Amino acid sequence: MSVRVLFFGQIAEQHGRREIEVVVGGELTLAALLASLNIDSEGLFLLAVNQQQVDDLSIEIGDGDEVAIMPPFSGG
Amino acid sequence: MDAVRIQEKDFSIEAEVDALRTSSKRIGGVATFLGCARDFSEGRDVSAICFEQYAGMAVQAMQALRSEALERFDIIDARIIHRVTTVHAGEQIVLIAVGAEHRGPAFDACRWIIDELKLSVPIWKKETTPNGDSWVTQHP
Repeated sequence: MSVRVLFFGQIAEQHGRREIEVVVGGELTLAALLASLNIDSEGLFLLAVNQQQVDDLSIEIGDGDEVAIMPPFSGG
Repeated sequence: MDAVRIQEKDFSIEAEVDALRTSSKRIGGVATFLGCARDFSEGRDVSAICFEQYAGMAVQAMQALRSEALERFDIIDARIIHRVTTVHAGEQIVLIAVGAEHRGPAFDACRWIIDELKLSVPIWKKETTPNGDSWVTQHP
């Protein structure tokens, strides 16, 4: 199972990458995906799954999903 | 021109207001908010601002904002244009234009859209200052 993970803004700079492909054995929660990436789920960032913002870390991530890890928005 | 756009190039306020105004002869007033680049922020000189977006999600979030504004307020039409590029002091960044029968809902919806845009649209800005580049994390 493959999940595309996107990083934006200062988070992309901190991780030195904008996008990674994560291959996992089966379905996993968003919290487990963050943990596998060594990302502190208490961090100050926003999350989106398939371009929909989410707050619930217990949701399941499936094959082909796109997960975005985003700093607080600052447009306008 | 689409009523909701993210683009690199500059926009014409006159063209956008004309497009809004001519969308309905019921419109009696148009309220606009124009966001532009300042040369000073958080006590530092700013020479340029670079914008980044989550392509796809950002324009969808702006379209959702327009739809919600049309439901929440007694307005007729709204346009939201945001540039994503590097801008310099004095240049245009974002335009909100709202048409309504009366000024009250037009002003209210215009204010609501720009406030919500800052909270819900995945766009980020990085300022270039004499001390280096700095991501903006606040919503002033």
